[in-house]
Amino acid sequence: MGEGRGTIGSINLSRKDDEEEVNISGHVHQLPCCIKFDGHCSVSHYFKPRPTDIEVDGLRVEEAYFRGRKLQGTSISLPNGYSGFVLGKKSLGKRKFCDDASEGNTNCWEMKAKFDKLAYWNHESLPSKDDAFVRCFHWFAVAEAVSFSFLYGAIL
Amino acid sequence: MVSEAPLPEWATEPCIMGIDEAGRGPVLGPMVYGCLYCARSYQDTLATLNFADSKTLKEEKREELFENLKADESLRWAVDVIDPRELSSKMLKRNKINLNEISHDSAIGLITRVLGMGVLLTEVYLDTVGDADKYRIKLSERFPSIKFVVAKKADSLYPVVSGASIVAKVTRDRALQEWVLEETAENMHRKFGSGYPGDPDTKAWLDHHKHSVFGFPTLVRFSWGTCTSYSKDMVDVLWESDKTDEDGGSNSSGKRQLKLSNVGFTSSKRKTEEIESSAKGRCKFFQARKLEQLTHF
Repeated sequence: MGEGRGTIGSINLSRKDDEEEVNISGHVHQLPCCIKFDGHCSVSHYFKPRPTDIEVDGLRVEEAYFRGRKLQGTSISLPNGYSGFVLGKKSLGKRKFCDDASEGNTNCWEMKAKFDKLAYWNHESLPSKDDAFVRCFHWFAVAEAVSFSFLYGAIL
Repeated sequence: MVSEAPLPEWATEPCIMGIDEAGRGPVLGPMVYGCLYCARSYQDTLATLNFADSKTLKEEKREELFENLKADESLRWAVDVIDPRELSSKMLKRNKINLNEISHDSAIGLITRVLGMGVLLTEVYLDTVGDADKYRIKLSERFPSIKFVVAKKADSLYPVVSGASIVAKVTRDRALQEWVLEETAENMHRKFGSGYPGDPDTKAWLDHHKHSVFGFPTLVRFSWGTCTSYSKDMVDVLWESDKTDEDGGSNSSGKRQLKLSNVGFTSSKRKTEEIESSAKGRCKFFQARKLEQLTHF
């Protein structure tokens, strides 16, 4: 795995004029588990976060249950200037936009939805500034200092 | 939930208390611990009140006895309603808390509460949970001033425990009847039945309310064996906390990490579940943040 066999792909973050941007801020949940399912699901009917009185590192703790487990999480905003994207493979009908059109090998992605806020959830511990997920954001500062031009180029 | 204050005069006399549970076996709904207490001098009268093990009584009779008991100024009661969400989550934690421990804690909580109100408890009677002797010793160490009688079938042997079993059972039945489902999906209904896994109504309810991703509504005790039999109808969910058990220290480099970021990329050649982490050789900065460069997606 990861022997440097990179694949060339493209990600299209622009939207067509006739389509409204789907903003799913507040509906994105990062769970401490792997759900082996990919598709539509009535999340808001079943996943019911509730506020608590607890606050850690200035983070308001919420609680929710999933598959019988108690999750403790918090809502965070993405740093200024950054957005989260839900990407999907382009549908076959739009294949002409792709570089590589051979069957099963298309690697063209497009933006399906966008978000600037999400909730992440821990199973055994209260959310805190020490969580790996929150600390991921440190990377932004490092990346900007080291190779902002590269990062910028990658998105284009 | 406690019967109304203030403290009755008899509470400063030596008092006896019975503790019993309802809804330990069912696959759904809360488990209720109830207690009933009175002055020891009232014990003889108590025996004439026809309290019997709540399981042997019809529902109407239980309701009637509960009303009598509430009206009786020589009796007081309290309950601890343990939410099914709490039962499931405690039993599914990495450091699992089993049902016996939850039961012990509930009984201890009731005793603490009643003592805290200023009632002079000198004798407490309860049904055994787990080994009777061990349970009695645990309670006696915790409350040295109280004499504990832990016995099998205490609910049919001691009227004060029978009374507690009525308190618990009626509370559990009402809690289930009045249960408001947290979930808002369509076509949900509240014909839960008794909640016992063998009850056809309960089975039908579980069948109707199972969900491939969420499992069941949170009314259900996910930690019950009954739920496992439905797992074939549900998608697998792998938990970080279930994975790291084997290899102890969480800092050992190159250990297998559960990959969560790959969910959804099922068309990829990489396995969507556990894969060998490529953390090896990665800078600590990235390891600590579980950041990885993705070359295939």
